[in-house]
Amino acid sequence: MGTVRKKITPGRILIVVFLLLGAAISVFPFIWMLIGTTQNPNDVVTGRLVPGKEFALNWEKMTTTYDILRFFFNSVKIALGTVFLGLLINSLAAFGFEKYPSKARNRIFGIMMLALIMPQMAIVIPLFKQIAFMRLLDRHIAIILPMVMSIFIIFFLRQNFKMFPTEIMEAARVDGAGEGRIFFSIVVPSMKATFASASIYMFLQQWNSYLWPLMTILSEEKKTLPIAMSSMMRAYTIEYGGLMLLVCISTFPVLFLFLAMQRQFVQGLTGSIK
Amino acid sequence: MTRLNSYHRYLNKIGWIYILPALLFFLVFMVYPVLSSLLLVTQKWQGLSRQFVGLGNFVRMWHDKIFWKALGHNFLFMIIQIPIMIALAMVLAVILNQGITRMRSVFRTIYFLPCVTSLVAYSVLFRILLQSSGLLNNFMISSHVISQAIGWLNDPFWAKMTIIIALTWRWTGYNMVFFLVGLQNIDPQIFEAAEVDGASRVRQFFRITLPLLVPVILFSLVTSTNGTMQLFDEPNVLTWEGGPSNGTMTVALYVYRQAFVLNSDFGYAAAISYVMVMITGLLAYLQIKFVRERS
Repeated sequence: MGTVRKKITPGRILIVVFLLLGAAISVFPFIWMLIGTTQNPNDVVTGRLVPGKEFALNWEKMTTTYDILRFFFNSVKIALGTVFLGLLINSLAAFGFEKYPSKARNRIFGIMMLALIMPQMAIVIPLFKQIAFMRLLDRHIAIILPMVMSIFIIFFLRQNFKMFPTEIMEAARVDGAGEGRIFFSIVVPSMKATFASASIYMFLQQWNSYLWPLMTILSEEKKTLPIAMSSMMRAYTIEYGGLMLLVCISTFPVLFLFLAMQRQFVQGLTGSIK
Repeated sequence: MTRLNSYHRYLNKIGWIYILPALLFFLVFMVYPVLSSLLLVTQKWQGLSRQFVGLGNFVRMWHDKIFWKALGHNFLFMIIQIPIMIALAMVLAVILNQGITRMRSVFRTIYFLPCVTSLVAYSVLFRILLQSSGLLNNFMISSHVISQAIGWLNDPFWAKMTIIIALTWRWTGYNMVFFLVGLQNIDPQIFEAAEVDGASRVRQFFRITLPLLVPVILFSLVTSTNGTMQLFDEPNVLTWEGGPSNGTMTVALYVYRQAFVLNSDFGYAAAISYVMVMITGLLAYLQIKFVRERS
């Protein structure tokens, strides 16, 4: 298709203008948040689109009033903790369901699938009571634990394990490899892309989560980036430049991740299964 | 024979060991909360005391004007925002798929960018953008699109528009990706045959493309409906606590506020979330059924 030279018609020009306009609207907020970090609060709000000279001042104001690096590291710690535990637990389960089939386990998998459609909102209220009962409130573990097991990820990984040939497992058994070694040193290394997609999905879920941390985290030093951002909007005088800094800190790591691993990222985010 | 049997038993044991941790998490953090909420919805919480009210919470909900208002907003966002977004995503996907520009992958990447922002981050950003004396109003006034500042955040009507615009910015590219994948799975020979038969581009779209994309559209519709029913971050941050004067209150936000801001009534909050889940499930069921019957 691409080799045919296309005529320039008014319709075609209109379409290109439409595409460019859409692209501008998609990209503009990213450029604006960068510019905003260098401006005084008034220029941020009124939208002077010229970079200012107050980046250092904004940074200083923010870091003296809030411990923003701590918010960042809290978010990183929680997200990575969830990814690590989640990958381990969900991949083992997916592998167990797929490669060690039994009637009882298939039935359990069926029940779990039914719960797949359960929205988070259905669980958070009783879950809060339970976490309070377990004395985990205001601790990061309270944010990590309920997000570790993901029915969707188990489903996603199981679909991908289907493609792993069972013959290889049998050959490895004949060679005397234990079941643990088969999984950790043969299966896992051969499915890096799948694991990358699953990791990105879980990372983003946790990096962006707002409702649940808002319920469970109370102390200032335990806040995550989304909680910190929303509570700063509550301040009497809002430091808009500093707020833009925080928006950038929350956005750009994910943006770089996206640009570096587009394929796995889109697969992870859209949860598409081939 | 017995050796083989014991080997099978061994593998079966391994299977249980593998799924055990996930099963434990499933029971503790999903099954148990859901079961315990059965008790919760029959209770009224006041401070430390809780009182059995049976179906009282549901009766109270029936007479709760703010609950109905919130539910109405969820439906409003659903009915207006989802079709706009899906149409826009579809148009972008079709244009990119036809290869009018050679830079298809560049545009696809750009349209997907809004998805990398966290819901709170983009809500904060839009809240700054849409202040009465903010960037968007200033831009539109100086280019003579409007003569007076629009109360994007202060006027109940415009606040709803704000949510709709924000949601569309955040999710159009996401849905476009699904449509692009769907379009690429259509055999190009079908279009070539239609071309030979003299079918116009528009006719091809409505007669071939659209019917073949029905499964993808359905998926997009169901996930968007689900997301809209649970809308929380945007009304809480962007239009601030469902304001102005509950003008963007949603059911999920109302659940949160009942439990954590207003009355600490966990029983009532759980009851509202029950109704929300049932409506969400019912909508998904109806959408799937409707589409199945039509095609």
